[in-house]
Amino acid sequence: MKFITKYLRTTEFSLSLLFVLGFISLALTSGGVLLSGQSIRSFLAYLAIPILIGLAQMVVLAVGQLNLAVGAMGGATAAVMAQMMIVWETPIWVAMLSGLFVATLMGAVNGFLVVSTGLNGFIITLGTLTILEGVQYALVRSFTLNAYPDAVKDFGKIDFFNIPSIFIVAIITAVIVAWFFRTNVVARRVLATGANPLAARLSGVSNPLSIFLAHTLSGALIGVAAIVTITSLGGINRSIGGDWLLSSFAAPIIAGVLMSGGVVAVYGTVMAAAVIRLVDIARAQYSLDPSVVNFTIGTVVLSTVALSEWRRRRAEVIRQRFSEDSDE
Amino acid sequence: MSNVLVVEELSKSFPGVKALDKVNITLRAGEVQALLGENGAGKSTLIKILTGVYQTAEGQVILNGSPVSFDSPLAATKAGIGVVHQERNLIPYFSVAENIVLQEQPSRFGLIDVRKRNEKARKALDSLGLTIDPDEIVQNLSVAQMQLVEIAKALATETRVLLLDEPTASISGSEATKLFSVVAKLREQGTAVLFVSHKLEEVFEVCDTVTVLRDGESVIESSPLADYSRSEIVAAMVGRTLADRAKRFRDVEPGEPALELRNVSTVLGHEDVSLSLLKGEVLGLYGLVGAGRSELVRSVLGLHSILSGQILLNGQVVKIGDVREALHRYRIGYVTENRKEEGLFLEFTINRNIAVTVWRKLQAWLGVVSHKKETEVSERFVESLGIRISSVNQLAGNLSGGNQQKVSLAKWLAAETEIIVIDEPTVGIDVRTKANFHELIMDLADQGMAVLLISSDLPEMVSIADRIMVMRDYQFVGEFANSKDYAEMSTQVMEAIQTGSKRTAAA
Repeated sequence: MKFITKYLRTTEFSLSLLFVLGFISLALTSGGVLLSGQSIRSFLAYLAIPILIGLAQMVVLAVGQLNLAVGAMGGATAAVMAQMMIVWETPIWVAMLSGLFVATLMGAVNGFLVVSTGLNGFIITLGTLTILEGVQYALVRSFTLNAYPDAVKDFGKIDFFNIPSIFIVAIITAVIVAWFFRTNVVARRVLATGANPLAARLSGVSNPLSIFLAHTLSGALIGVAAIVTITSLGGINRSIGGDWLLSSFAAPIIAGVLMSGGVVAVYGTVMAAAVIRLVDIARAQYSLDPSVVNFTIGTVVLSTVALSEWRRRRAEVIRQRFSEDSDE
Repeated sequence: MSNVLVVEELSKSFPGVKALDKVNITLRAGEVQALLGENGAGKSTLIKILTGVYQTAEGQVILNGSPVSFDSPLAATKAGIGVVHQERNLIPYFSVAENIVLQEQPSRFGLIDVRKRNEKARKALDSLGLTIDPDEIVQNLSVAQMQLVEIAKALATETRVLLLDEPTASISGSEATKLFSVVAKLREQGTAVLFVSHKLEEVFEVCDTVTVLRDGESVIESSPLADYSRSEIVAAMVGRTLADRAKRFRDVEPGEPALELRNVSTVLGHEDVSLSLLKGEVLGLYGLVGAGRSELVRSVLGLHSILSGQILLNGQVVKIGDVREALHRYRIGYVTENRKEEGLFLEFTINRNIAVTVWRKLQAWLGVVSHKKETEVSERFVESLGIRISSVNQLAGNLSGGNQQKVSLAKWLAAETEIIVIDEPTVGIDVRTKANFHELIMDLADQGMAVLLISSDLPEMVSIADRIMVMRDYQFVGEFANSKDYAEMSTQVMEAIQTGSKRTAAA
């Protein structure tokens, strides 16, 4: 019983509840259109990218840093894959694996720069953001690259009982990330670095290694997002990735991942991404202005941050009241 | 002389601890009063109340004849109480003048009046006889100069009472002399000064009267310093209550040296420091705060550079690059002084806090660490150390100080270290848990571990260490076999601290 009441108070539960209620009310007001196979398919298909980039941001937040280059890394990687298939006519699987590798490498470079310069990830990824946007433009110019094999584009159209293949890819990735953070020794060290770098260092954890790994993992996840992008769109142009930044932060932060590090919430990030999708659906359904979506998401993110800060302070006060220390 | 500041029956409690218990102080204009006491005696609490950091307390604070209570540090400043803290409170990129007038920038039509600002700063500096250039950027000053600027800053507002919180903790002897002449000047001008220090010599040099706090009580209340000898002051600070506890003699013969330092010099200022820590012994490193004990250990662990000398482990010369190497390769554990800042992950479960040092050992295929294995390890130590919790899945941040300290000890025991350094283990912990902790430390040595105990708590030292080495100014100034006779040991140790110097090192 205590377990259940504890669960009811978690952010994950609130988000699940919010999603279910939102979905039901949208389904009812749409007269059931939302429940059609086509609607479910498109709802889930457009959820894949937000989940993946939310996770990519989450793993960097876990060490108390930010990755501003999420979109630029994804856009540049997609452009690289497209050009490989068009110019060099490389086999599809080679292009995909190369994309994963290239994105992982970008993450590793971010991590290396952060660790070797001692600067915050904010500054470093702001720099790589600008560079990679340039790379993407150089590869794409003002064209849309779509002369790669149709088999690539077809993959994104496959579905199993109305569940799109790309959504399945995103969920499998999320499950792997969740399993990794739940059980893996390296992931625990990453979290220890985020939770308290001083204590981590004095407990034999290498903080530079943790930070490097978090950025590298972020890159790998962006690689998966880039693959999903290229398989689900008709072509790659210079705007790919341009709108990823806000949603990459929105999902993990709404899920309660602290900006100060030490915490991950994979299920929460997935559910938060789903709730944000509902806002999009609502806009389409009621023909609201597109700016309403950004306005709503921005407001929700700010109030979530304020709420978690308030909770943290309250926990601190309670903790002080019950611990026997004076602060001599 | 008139009474400027009177503290009457001031008490302040934190859950489980009475930090101040009916403290009385009288401070007159033109008087320099020493405020002494060991760590945890209540000095910081008193200062925090006087400067408005803590708003609630029982009893009265009377300033210039009328009762006051400050609801913020700013209110205290406005009422005329200035304070110079241990930590620098200057803005490094601002000029001296800008810092001095920070609280009240002179302005004209909303713009800063530069001429007036420099005038005001100059005046504050002149009144102290200081020749520092008001236009100099603060970060270009020496630490001692910054200290003096801080005093000038405190005096720029109408300051009646100046609190100096360990002003000489990080400056050299000749710089301290300059500071003392400034204090003498303040006395002439009629400012009342409350001087907090751990250094008895300088207290006898600059102070007129003395208040000693012990366990939150004022055991000497604003009495003339001339009435006391050094040893009487020390006895008042240290007390006897804890020392009279039942002594436990350990009959285990210490073994081979586990850790040896030979003529080690560090980047922090230790020169030619040597020691030998034996298996199965508790070696105490005693000294006042800032003597360089934790810094020595941290250098050995690779956190600060060692310039010369050798470190030997089990007779072999080694180079320790970082804490990771110290732990996994050389089996040295370090229970830190600040358990909350450095010892624990407050947001993690007890389970993870204990297992952090053994994750590497517990991992299976693909680096998987099972929750079950973690729990097995942590529950073993929760039981053997008597950590009082309902579950190992509780968050470490929600534990009491004593239990937190045990958790941070447990993680090193779990790692099966052969050498353990325990830094100020019982600060802020209640008496009963303290005694329990002392037993634990002696048990560890009985099991053959080499224990290096750093403590500023002399009764604690005398009741658990086998040998006591005394450090002062980053040098060892004495080494004693512990007879566990408190009177004898405290005299020897205090003598070493007072008379020992770099040149006459006895160790």
